Amino acid sequence: MGYFLDSLRSLGTSMRNAFRPPTTVQFPKEKRERAERYRSSFALLHDSEGDELCVGCLQCARICPSQVITVIAEKKESPVTGKRRGYAKDFVLDLNACIVCELCVQVCPTDAIVMTRVAETPGYSREALCLTMDRLYENETEKPATWATASLLMAMQDPKRGQPDAKAAKKAARAEAKADKPTTEGRTG
Amino acid sequence: MALAVEIPDRVDPYLDIDEYEPEADLMVLNLGPQHPSTHGVFHVKLFLDGEIIIKAVPYAGYLHRGVEKLCEKLMFTQITPIVDKNDYVSPMMNEQAINMAFEALLGVEVPRRARYVRTIEAELQRIASHLLWLGTFGMDLGGALGGGATIFMHCFRERESILDLFEEVTGCRFHYNTHTIGGNRHDITPGWADHVKQALDVIDQRIPEYESLMTGNRIFVERTRGVGVLKAELAMELGITGPMLRAAGVSHDLRRHAPYHAYDEIKVKVQTEKAGDSLARTLVRIREMSESSRIVRELIDNVPEGPICGHKPIKIATQERAQSGQAYACLESPRGELGTYVIGGGANKGASPYRLKIRPPSLHAVSCLPYVLPGHTVSDAVTILGSTDPIIGEVDR
Amino acid sequence: MKALAGISGFGGALLHGAVYGILIVTVLMTVTAWSIWFERKFSGRMQSRLGPTLVGPAGLLQPLADALKLLQKESIVPASADKALFRLAPPLTVLFALGTAAVIPFSPKVIAADLDVGVLYLLALSGLMVFPVWIAGWASNNKYSLLGGMRAVAQGISYEVPLVLAAMVPVVLSGSMKLSEIVRFQRHHGWFIAWPPGPGLLAFVLFFMASLAEANRIPFDIPEAESELVAGVTTEYTGMEFGLFYLSEYLHTLIVSAVAAALFFGGWDGPFAPGLFWMVLKTLLLFGSIFWIRWTLLRFRSDQLMVICWKYLVPGGLVLVMAAAVWVQFITPNQTATGMAPAAPSAVPAQPLFHEEVP
Repeated sequence: MGYFLDSLRSLGTSMRNAFRPPTTVQFPKEKRERAERYRSSFALLHDSEGDELCVGCLQCARICPSQVITVIAEKKESPVTGKRRGYAKDFVLDLNACIVCELCVQVCPTDAIVMTRVAETPGYSREALCLTMDRLYENETEKPATWATASLLMAMQDPKRGQPDAKAAKKAARAEAKADKPTTEGRTG
Repeated sequence: MALAVEIPDRVDPYLDIDEYEPEADLMVLNLGPQHPSTHGVFHVKLFLDGEIIIKAVPYAGYLHRGVEKLCEKLMFTQITPIVDKNDYVSPMMNEQAINMAFEALLGVEVPRRARYVRTIEAELQRIASHLLWLGTFGMDLGGALGGGATIFMHCFRERESILDLFEEVTGCRFHYNTHTIGGNRHDITPGWADHVKQALDVIDQRIPEYESLMTGNRIFVERTRGVGVLKAELAMELGITGPMLRAAGVSHDLRRHAPYHAYDEIKVKVQTEKAGDSLARTLVRIREMSESSRIVRELIDNVPEGPICGHKPIKIATQERAQSGQAYACLESPRGELGTYVIGGGANKGASPYRLKIRPPSLHAVSCLPYVLPGHTVSDAVTILGSTDPIIGEVDR
Repeated sequence: MKALAGISGFGGALLHGAVYGILIVTVLMTVTAWSIWFERKFSGRMQSRLGPTLVGPAGLLQPLADALKLLQKESIVPASADKALFRLAPPLTVLFALGTAAVIPFSPKVIAADLDVGVLYLLALSGLMVFPVWIAGWASNNKYSLLGGMRAVAQGISYEVPLVLAAMVPVVLSGSMKLSEIVRFQRHHGWFIAWPPGPGLLAFVLFFMASLAEANRIPFDIPEAESELVAGVTTEYTGMEFGLFYLSEYLHTLIVSAVAAALFFGGWDGPFAPGLFWMVLKTLLLFGSIFWIRWTLLRFRSDQLMVICWKYLVPGGLVLVMAAAVWVQFITPNQTATGMAPAAPSAVPAQPLFHEEVP
């Protein structure tokens, strides 16, 4: 007899749930709103003068735990300032093996690499998911960037943050200001 | 019922099946590694007499990926996102365990705010992990095309709200890499506390619904009462911790007895049951969900101000070096004691560990199977395996 | 139809049976196919999600898509399986399931074969349905299928007893095994679910549970317990043979709901609308509640199933049959169905098996 009463209670629960609105979203016709910090794919940035930010320091390639980044560096004259500095001759990021850990973003000294906020669509081949340098620079304008850049992350993780220390506060403010600069051009969202 | 082979009181799992009774015509059934409900690639060889299990031999290693060996080549700064994938259901725990060990090794102190945030994230992850377990356990018992699927969908619906909370803080719904040596990489946003409380309100409201579909339903109770009884002595001998031990009556919880993070500032109520069967484990886990919800509510409004990381943030890969020393740090994961043992002085001039050993709670949990399974039927085998809450990524690493 | 009714004798009955049979089979197969759509939508709503929405408006063409998909798949027969038996099992399940549809009174005129021993015929075919499942379990040469088949046999033959006992209650109460007579009796004297109060409702519950067990539905679906036995009896089946198993399961469930509607809920009895409408409505309501139960409850273990059957349902069934007999003999001794002689066995004239309908 206990079986019947318990079963009736369970049946009531499931029927009650049938009248609640569904929680699913008809993807890909409707898309869910992603959080501000949501990270998915990658983009390489230019600075406000149009010069590439990447200096070819290879820190991102070194820190990547899955070794998906391959950078070939070179030194050449900047087309914008005329000074000789480091550049990335080739930059390849293999999304097939990326574990989306954000470490490459964190270590970049010039805020050159950021992640994008749009859920990456699947590709039909492995080559489609291997981001070459053109596609990375394309993503700068094609896809909205997420919140995290190296400067912002460093400022957030600063051991002196939140302390009543004027010097650190000024330094953090300067870091935030510097991080805001490249956003004026070439970044959407 | 007359069995072909007598099952002794204390089963000896190392005794060869031929030594039991050579003439006994036992059927060998391989439960897994490809099976809808072995919770991963896990293989248990069952020797059956009709439908009763006489002997069970578990085989682990189908998901071995060499994580510990890989970590000997990676540097301390790179290891966190890799060990995220051990206990792939509760990544916060893996990250926290590994970073606690590294902090102990390198002598780094974690600021108070980071400890609070880590505690809150750990408890939310515990709720999410138990929700996932409850859903898959229901599926084991009820059928993927049936009542089990309903409880599965309900649990995952609530779990999605927790994953949305994590997305807001870290940017990833799963496998976050949000912890670092000395604290966290992502600080909580100003509106997060309200979102957490909203999500917890919904979860607290839905837990009675799960109970009406599961523990309040006599079919479930009859399926799990008395099934897979694990005695406390056996559990302690095998090194089983977590809800399995607590369901056997032993009140042992690392959050209470060896506090870490912010647990020394609050009081955790340890949930125990006496019976030690699958029903007891289910009740313990459901109550732990409510308890975690209470802990988060207590902490979320009182997070102290301060830095979120007490050590230099990661700027280059070879930043952290440890030429010598060893450390063991453990925490209470949803499955038990998750520990990390690290010995410094490895490759890259000390930037990599010499040896990294992870003590997975699920490995000890599934080691109880040869002792617990004999005498039950095949249906019970699935129930028992489900109630031990194994995560094979953790068992095999 | 009038011309057909005019042809009397064996040929006429055969033609009548053929025409109505084909009609009923077609309609049933169509309804079964669309019950897949209904199930997926209904279960989706219970799980806070939508069901199929892309194929056709609101996913209505999903069953077509599923059927086409299964038809174009290869039917793989394992090398070490017993080929003849392996191939035999799926069509046999559908055959027996459809066979039971012959005697169901969908309306006063729509019935393929109004047998005098309708209920007995139904129970006999339900009992036969254990065979194809068992054959499939054996012929697959797979331990999981074997276990599933053995459990199915144990469950199937055990639950026949409460099924028969529960089906006997309307028979005793109405004094006839002919399904159209049972429905007519309910039309005149009240539905068995409500009158006599008690035995009718309990007999319905027993019948319902036993039918769920016969049809291998949750909570009694141990033989195809997906989480334990991969797919139980149907593990090795692919393509349309697999489709036939699932079709036969849905078909059996639909027919069982129709039979329950006829035996306990008055069949085509109802005001203001033609009989067919009421019969269809009652069948679909019962069918829907079977899905509701399927998507909510967990399943019983084998031995618990057996305990429930032999310790609770069988004694309960016996008591109910006795109660029905007491009712008929002592409380309402003069009620009979229309057109039927009183309950003295020797006075019943011998009727041929096939005869014209009495309106």
